[in-house]
Amino acid sequence: MAKTVNVNVHHVTRVEGHGNIVVNATDGKVEKVEWQVPEAPRFFEAMVRGRSYEDIQTIVSRICGICSITHSLASTKAVENAMGIKVSEQADKVRILMHYSEQLQSHVLHVGYLVAPDLFGLPSVVPLAAKAPDAVMAVIRLHRLANEWSDLIAGRTTHPVTLTPGGLTKFPTEKELRELLERLKNCVADLKAVAEAVLSAASNIPDFTRETEYVSLKQDNPPTYTFYHGDITSTDYDGAVSIHDWQSVANEYMNDQSTAKWTKWHRESYTVGALARFNNNAPLLSPMAKDVAKMFGLAQGCCNPFMNSVAQIVEAVHVVETSIALIDELLTTGLKPETVKVSPKAGKASGCVEAPRGILFHQYEFDRKGNCVGADICIPTNQNHAAIQQDFEKFVPEILDEGEDAVRLKLEMLVRSYDPCISCSTHMLNVQFVR
Amino acid sequence: MRKPTVVLGLGNPLMADEGIGIDLVERLAQEAGRYPTVEFIDAGTGGMSVLHRIEGRSKAILIDCAYMGEAPGTIRRFTPDEVRSTKVLAHQSLHEADLLRVLTLAEQLGQSPGQVVIFGIQPQVVEVRQGLSGVLFRRVEHYLAEIRSELEKSAG
Repeated sequence: MAKTVNVNVHHVTRVEGHGNIVVNATDGKVEKVEWQVPEAPRFFEAMVRGRSYEDIQTIVSRICGICSITHSLASTKAVENAMGIKVSEQADKVRILMHYSEQLQSHVLHVGYLVAPDLFGLPSVVPLAAKAPDAVMAVIRLHRLANEWSDLIAGRTTHPVTLTPGGLTKFPTEKELRELLERLKNCVADLKAVAEAVLSAASNIPDFTRETEYVSLKQDNPPTYTFYHGDITSTDYDGAVSIHDWQSVANEYMNDQSTAKWTKWHRESYTVGALARFNNNAPLLSPMAKDVAKMFGLAQGCCNPFMNSVAQIVEAVHVVETSIALIDELLTTGLKPETVKVSPKAGKASGCVEAPRGILFHQYEFDRKGNCVGADICIPTNQNHAAIQQDFEKFVPEILDEGEDAVRLKLEMLVRSYDPCISCSTHMLNVQFVR
Repeated sequence: MRKPTVVLGLGNPLMADEGIGIDLVERLAQEAGRYPTVEFIDAGTGGMSVLHRIEGRSKAILIDCAYMGEAPGTIRRFTPDEVRSTKVLAHQSLHEADLLRVLTLAEQLGQSPGQVVIFGIQPQVVEVRQGLSGVLFRRVEHYLAEIRSELEKSAG
């Protein structure tokens, strides 16, 4: 049946960015499908100019309130690469442990608070708490554990204070690590509860596929399901590109429908995030994470963007299981105090890590005093914009007959599945008195 | 053992008056010695983490910037059941938050303190810059007096 559909999910605000979804179709013919990102510029690349190499991570951690550890790590690694600063094996492991806390925190929040309500057909997590209180409680306990884990290693939940070029200003004590180890072992039951709750509603995951390129880090030596070290690879590319050549991967360009830059590599778009990492690295997952992937029927080569949320559950299990092993290693070798001494020098280099929502690139140039003279940052959400647009173009004709409300909901779900990082800067109350 | 009362300052000090909650909680934290049963926390832009901050308390006092249709600089004390949120969320990303919805969730999960009090302050300026507008800055002492009197009630 030919349909006329007009969807305009519009969120124009210059302080809290959102994406706009625009669909116009008349008599079954799609005239316009657009994913627009009208974000206000935030000028972080300009803000760091003239600032000391020691201040960079403190400033750029403010890019994001969800993945601040990730931005801090990427920038710190870039500073270290630019100045030839070495990091001890011990500091490297503790940083990876810090990074895992953020992966767990972000994935659990996204799946529990944003994706699960969709799958259960509810408008938000509030009614979900009435329908599935045990699952929501498990999400909240996991979220709290992840927050306290970040607190312990990074010095606070958001915006780390223990990171410094060359290492860390403070290491956790062995007693603290042992307590964290116990809590991680005990949280496995909650992870399973969340996975089972999502599985019970998995029939509501839309059946949609679009073949595309998936880009992520890969680490061969030692082979690791990596979030932190390695080179850039993709499902369209057998080799690996050095992270220092990331501009040749991202090929950023401006687009009329967005204030954010878009990217492309071998095709018109590529995708980053949990599903990209899974598609490139799945054989290297921890045993329990492999079981969870199997439980959902998630296999390498999956091109359903809605399955990104399932890949996040798989990764949440992976980071917990891997962290347990990592803490065991740290306790076996014992933690030794470290003093970091850094002499600034001129240089230009990149740092790269996987944010929960995909691969993240930072590049800085410093003068001989260690003051920043230039910066270039490419965030994962921007790398997904073209993919979201192309998904829209393929998906809308497939669901047009379902009517306006269904089209709107499914496109919103599609955007949510990418777990976008759309800048958050104000959270004030908007209230009306009812008495 | 958690302190029975928590005061959460919410907001973003990089956005002018949006940072009033943080400004006030930082000032109050300097008087923490007067309030041994109260924990003062800079909770930033809060989000879902507010759940963990208020869990297990008998009273939570939240200080935040609020659009209430009042004159700029006005402070109002209210409880969650006295107001309705008019905030429209896109639910597109984790980067949105609505304090009132978080409090509703805490209530539903049986994790809400017996008493939740919100101090809302109507902003004059919300834009990318540090520091409060003159209107709010001049009234800081008045805001602190209001919150202190709430704290005296908790102690009593």
